[in-house]
Amino acid sequence: MQTTAAYRVQFMLLLLVLIAAFLLNLSMGSVSIPLDEIISVFIGNGTSKETWRYILMDYRLPKAIMAMIAGGGLAISGLLMQTLFRNPLAGPFVLGLSSGASLGVAFLILGASAFGGFFGTLLLSQWSLVIASALGSFLVLLAVLAVTFRIKDTMAILIIGLMFGSVTTAVVSVLSYFSNAEQLQQYIFWSFGSLGNQSWQGVMTLAICFLAGLGLSIFSSKSLNALLLGENYAKSMGLHIKKTTFIIILATSILAGSITAFVGPIAFVGLAVPHLVRQFYKTSNHLVLMPAVLVCGALLMLICDTVAQLPFSEFTLPINAITSLIGAPVVIWLLVRKRKLFF
Amino acid sequence: MVEVIYAKGFEIEDQGNIKVITLKNPWPGTDKTFKYALVKKNSPLKNPENYDAVVEVPVKRIVVTSTTHIPSLEMLNELETIIGFPNLNYISSEKTRTKISEGKISEIGKNEDLNKEILIDLNPDAVIGFAVEGNNSAYSTLRKAGIPVLYNSDWTETSPLGKAEWIKFFGALFDKENEADSIFKNIETEYLSAKKIASEAKETPTVISGAMYKDVWYMPQGGSWGAQFIADANGDYLWKDSEGTGSLSLNLESVLEKGHNADIWIGPGQFTSLGEMKNASQAYSQFKAYKNGKVYSYSMKKGESGGIVYYELAPNRPDLVLKDLIKILHPQLLPDHDIFFFDQLQ
Repeated sequence: MQTTAAYRVQFMLLLLVLIAAFLLNLSMGSVSIPLDEIISVFIGNGTSKETWRYILMDYRLPKAIMAMIAGGGLAISGLLMQTLFRNPLAGPFVLGLSSGASLGVAFLILGASAFGGFFGTLLLSQWSLVIASALGSFLVLLAVLAVTFRIKDTMAILIIGLMFGSVTTAVVSVLSYFSNAEQLQQYIFWSFGSLGNQSWQGVMTLAICFLAGLGLSIFSSKSLNALLLGENYAKSMGLHIKKTTFIIILATSILAGSITAFVGPIAFVGLAVPHLVRQFYKTSNHLVLMPAVLVCGALLMLICDTVAQLPFSEFTLPINAITSLIGAPVVIWLLVRKRKLFF
Repeated sequence: MVEVIYAKGFEIEDQGNIKVITLKNPWPGTDKTFKYALVKKNSPLKNPENYDAVVEVPVKRIVVTSTTHIPSLEMLNELETIIGFPNLNYISSEKTRTKISEGKISEIGKNEDLNKEILIDLNPDAVIGFAVEGNNSAYSTLRKAGIPVLYNSDWTETSPLGKAEWIKFFGALFDKENEADSIFKNIETEYLSAKKIASEAKETPTVISGAMYKDVWYMPQGGSWGAQFIADANGDYLWKDSEGTGSLSLNLESVLEKGHNADIWIGPGQFTSLGEMKNASQAYSQFKAYKNGKVYSYSMKKGESGGIVYYELAPNRPDLVLKDLIKILHPQLLPDHDIFFFDQLQ
C-alpha cells in the first residue's frame, strides 16, 4: 500500500505533466507561431498578425479545453461503468449512449432528404448536430433508466444497453442505404470525432454538463467503493442499490452523452484510461482513483490531439483513430509487462 | 479515326463496318482498358468475344447513370432514347424532367445497387455506367443477361475541355459524330477565346475555395478541374501548386494563414448565405473575401427536384463556367455575359 502522501506527490506530478501537455498542445499546429507571440496573446497584447490571434484564442484554446473535458469526462464515466457492472470491458458507451447519439445524428444527416426541408435547414446550424445527438443519447438514457427501475440485475442492464446498440446500428444501416454519397460522408466524418471548430458558447455549455456529471460522480464515490465488494455486501452496508445505480447511470449519461454530442463518438479513452490508472495506483478507493482518472483522461486526449494535428503539416487526422492507435499499444504493453489486470 | 484532342479517357476508331471505342481510364489508378464494338444493325461481327461490349448503333433505347450524361443526350437531340436512370431526383434539366413526369423514364434504384429486375425488363440497347472501382456486381449481372454495359469515365478527366469532349462518345453511339464534333468545336472556340480575353487582364485576383466539414477544410487540388478553371480565368488560386487532381483536406489553421487575405472565394460548399456560413463557423468571417462579400457559390441554382445544376451541366459547358468566373474575377472584361451558374452570397 502506498501512503496518502505518496499519492499526493504522484498526483501533483501528474498535474504538472497535464499543464505541460496543455501548453505544448497550444503551441503546436499547422501554423508555427513563435513562442513570444503566444505569450503576447495570452497576456493581452496584440500579435503582429491578426490571424495568429484568431488561431490561438478561437481555434486552439477551445480545442485544447474541449480535449481535456472530453478525455477526462469519458475516462470518469468509464470508471463508473466498470465499477457498476464489475466488468473490465465496460465503458461509457455500453449503455447504448453512443448508439443513441449516432441514431440522432443519422436521422438528422441521412434522413434530411427523406424528411424534407425542415431537417435540411436545421443541418446547417452549428448546434444541429449537438442537439440531434444529445436528443438521441437522452432518449436511450430514458429507456435505460426505465429498465433499471424494473430490473435488479446490473448484468441484464448491460445486455439491454448492447441490444439498444444493435437496434440503432440497424436503423442507421437502413438510413445509410437510402442516402447519397455526400450525406454518407458527412455522417462518417461525424463518427470520426472532431475536437476543433468549437465556439466558446459550445465549450461553456459542455463545461456545465461536465461539472454536473462530475459532481454526481464524486457524490457516488463512497457507494462505488462499496459496490466493488459485491451487491449483497453493499446492501449489507446499507446501500440503496437501485438509487445508487440510478445516480451512477445518470452521471455517466450526462458525461458521455454531452461529450458525444459535441465532439462525436470517441472510442477507447473511456475504456482504457481507468485500466491505465489502476496499473499505477494500486488501490480501489474511488476518492483516489477518480482525480487520477480525470487527469489521465485529459492528458491522453491532449496528447492525441497534438499528434492528430500533425504539427507543421497542413493536414489533420481524425481524433478517433489516433486515440486508439496511440492508446491501445500502451495498454497492451502495460498488460504484458505486469501480466495482469488490476481490477 | 474520330479526333479526340483534350480527353484522355477514350479513343474512337472507325474501321469501316464497325467503330471501336477504347476506354483507357475507366477509373483512377488502373491500367485496364475496355474495348467496345459499335456495329450497324444486322451486320455480322467477327470475333465478338474480343470486345467487352457489342452495341448496335444507332442506339434507340439507352440507360444512363450519371447526370453528367444528360446534357450530351440533350445537345445531340437524343433525349427520346433515355428509358432509365438511377435516382431520378438528381436530374435538373427541365426538358428531361418533363419526360420524367410523363413517366417515360424509369427509376432504376441507386447507382451502387441498381435494380437489376427493372433493368433487365427494360431491355435497353446499352447501359452507360460509370465505375469508381471495378466491382459493380449489377453490371456483370446485366452483361450475363445480354445487355451491353459501357463505362463512361468523363469524371476522371481533369481539363475542362476534356470533360466536354465526351460528347463525342455519345455521338458515336447515335451515329452522330459530325453533330458531336461541331457542338464540341463551338464550345472549344468559345472557351479558348474567353481564356484569351481573361489573359489580357492586368490584375490577377487571389482565390480560395471550398469549406469546412467539422474542422476539415476541403478544397480542389492544384491539378483538378476546378483549379484549372480558375487558372484559365486568370485568377491566382492559392493552392494551385498542390499536386493531385482530387480534393485537399486541410485544417483551418493553415487555410486561415494562407488564405485570409484572398480576394475572392469560389464554391464554399453547400452554403447559400453569408449568415449561414457564420452560423456554422465563426472562422469564415475572418476571411477578407467574406468580409467584402466576395463569396460565390454554385449551390443555389437547383433543378426542380433539388439536383444542383452545376454538377449536371458544367462538365458539358466549360465555356459557360469560364465566362462566369471571368465575370467574377474581372467584371469589366465580359460586359455582356450574364452569370449563369454562380450566385454571390448575401
